Amino acid sequence: MHRIRKFFLKQQPVFITIIAVLLAFVIVGLILAATGRNPFNAVYFFVRGAFGNMFNTTDTISRVIPLTIAGIAFLVGAQSSVFNVGIEGQLLLGAMASAVVGYIVKLPAYIHLPLMLLAGALAGGLYALIPAWLKTKRKVNEILSTIMLNYPATYFTHFLVLKVIPIEGVVPATPFIEETARLPILIEGTQLHAGVFVMIMVVIFAYYLLYKTSLGYEMRAVGYNKTAARFHGIPVEKRMNFAFFLSGMMAGLAGAVEVAGVHYRFLDQFSPGYGFDSITVALVGLLNPFGVVISATLFGALKTGILEMSVYSGIPRQLTTLINGIVVLCVAAKDMLGGWYARIFRGKDTYEAQKEISQ
Amino acid sequence: MNWTEALKAIFTLTLLTSTVRVSISIVLAGMGEMLTERSGVLNIGVEGTMLVGALAGALGSYFSGSPWIGLLAAGLSGMLIGLLFSFIAISLRSNQSITGLAIYLLCVGLTGYLLQIIFEHGGNSPMVDTLPTLHMKFLENVPVLGPIFNDQSIITIPVLLLPVLFYIIFYRTPWGSWLRAAGENPKALAVVGKNPVRIRYVATLCGSFLAGIGGAYLSISQTSLFSENMVAGRGFIALSAVIFGGVQPFGVFLACIFFGFMDALQKTLQTVIPDTLIPRELFMSLPYVLTLLVLAGFIKKSGGPADIGNPYLKESR
Repeated sequence: MHRIRKFFLKQQPVFITIIAVLLAFVIVGLILAATGRNPFNAVYFFVRGAFGNMFNTTDTISRVIPLTIAGIAFLVGAQSSVFNVGIEGQLLLGAMASAVVGYIVKLPAYIHLPLMLLAGALAGGLYALIPAWLKTKRKVNEILSTIMLNYPATYFTHFLVLKVIPIEGVVPATPFIEETARLPILIEGTQLHAGVFVMIMVVIFAYYLLYKTSLGYEMRAVGYNKTAARFHGIPVEKRMNFAFFLSGMMAGLAGAVEVAGVHYRFLDQFSPGYGFDSITVALVGLLNPFGVVISATLFGALKTGILEMSVYSGIPRQLTTLINGIVVLCVAAKDMLGGWYARIFRGKDTYEAQKEISQ
Repeated sequence: MNWTEALKAIFTLTLLTSTVRVSISIVLAGMGEMLTERSGVLNIGVEGTMLVGALAGALGSYFSGSPWIGLLAAGLSGMLIGLLFSFIAISLRSNQSITGLAIYLLCVGLTGYLLQIIFEHGGNSPMVDTLPTLHMKFLENVPVLGPIFNDQSIITIPVLLLPVLFYIIFYRTPWGSWLRAAGENPKALAVVGKNPVRIRYVATLCGSFLAGIGGAYLSISQTSLFSENMVAGRGFIALSAVIFGGVQPFGVFLACIFFGFMDALQKTLQTVIPDTLIPRELFMSLPYVLTLLVLAGFIKKSGGPADIGNPYLKESR
């Protein structure tokens, strides 16, 4: 019994988050019921849509890729107390830059593909340096600045596909990228592409950087307590600038992978809000690189599931954003749950239990 | 078209008229957010609160046939969102920035969802009745002021008087000094027997009420329907105006009018300058880029309350 209690107390953050997410889905269910939609019916179509057959399952996985990379983008920022809400804009610019490199440059695949991914990452990273400068030099709240920078990025890419780059077909888009710049499809007839490997590399890179290098240690120290970090001799502003740049690079990379693996061109309004989803994904993943993969899987399933749901059960697709908001709200409010949780598993002998954990 | 002609076409009385027209929603949200921030609470969810207000305004007007009911519904539903925010950010002491962000996402999703559920199609609501306009006879023959203020929405004049009201509340009433104390040093306020939590609640609820009204102005006065995401960053611009204006009534008011002017200018430039010369998208980005430039250039280190963004912990007294 003691061992079970100890386990639950040690893993408190994980279980609290799970409870918070479950609570969020109960609330969503209540909203569905209150607006005259059957929540159980919705769950059925949702599961069918996300995992019902081979195509849907691989579609889910192909959405986990950008969500994970974008989630990592938010994570590397948030670990250094940089809340980058501009991932959507950085992702769009990254996708545009990579699409341009993808269709203009002619090179063999082993250099073309890395080059176009790098172009995407750089475009996102450079764009993120604007809020970085505003934050560290001018003390502008980064949530405000990054959210505002989403608008110019959207208009700019829209302008490029509409008025600068020659249009093929009816949808505003860039021309298709060269074969050499594409991420190969892994299973014939599905959407599953080699971006999975990019995703795995990004996750391992983020974990290694944050937890196994002194640079990552310093970044996390800045996120934990800026004053303490400064007294420790850590160049706080430099680390925050780097966090911005890295976060923007990951966001840009997420866009580039979407272009190289799914659309093969920059399609106007191709992102179904990956930028904002990334915040939810990272927070639910407890700002842990591996946790992000798990929560990205959940929200990837949500994205594909809701598509089918909106077709068959008449539930608007805007439900995704609503779910995001409720989940983040519940995760933000999980401290309250923490109190109850600790009371349940600690019992009356709080002191004893705490001693057990510290041992 | 040469330069002087172009300038003449841009800087007309119509530009000032439309400045007043597009400023009202920003002023309402900005004044509300200023009140909230003065009490030490940073509500980044204003944009969402405005969206909910805009939808509630349109729905209220649509179903009751009276835009006044819509206006009331907008204020009250804004308050409801403010209550949710306050509960999580003030009572549960969660991170205010993240809570505000969550409120924003929630409201974007909720308004889009409800619009689709209620009218069975997305994008826009049907046309609704709008608030009446005010025509003042004595202004008819007054140059400049006449054309600018006549035939504006009926709430325009009261809204333009808000900074005076807030100045009096902040600096001439006891509640105002408690409010400012809650933002500067809540522990000191608690020592004299006032409850900072209650004051922060009241400030946030009233601020959200104004933000809701500001949203409704967009849907039942500036236009006559609700469309998805129609607030389009005005909430964030209002947040910037509060910073730019140093969280002071007249400063914030002027900042809101300035951003309103930029928006009006941007719309005029779009119509005057041919798209082939300078593309529309550039002008559409202008308000956001300018807001950031202004923030970068003018931010004051000691502009806002000292304790903003920090939850009040009773135990640490």
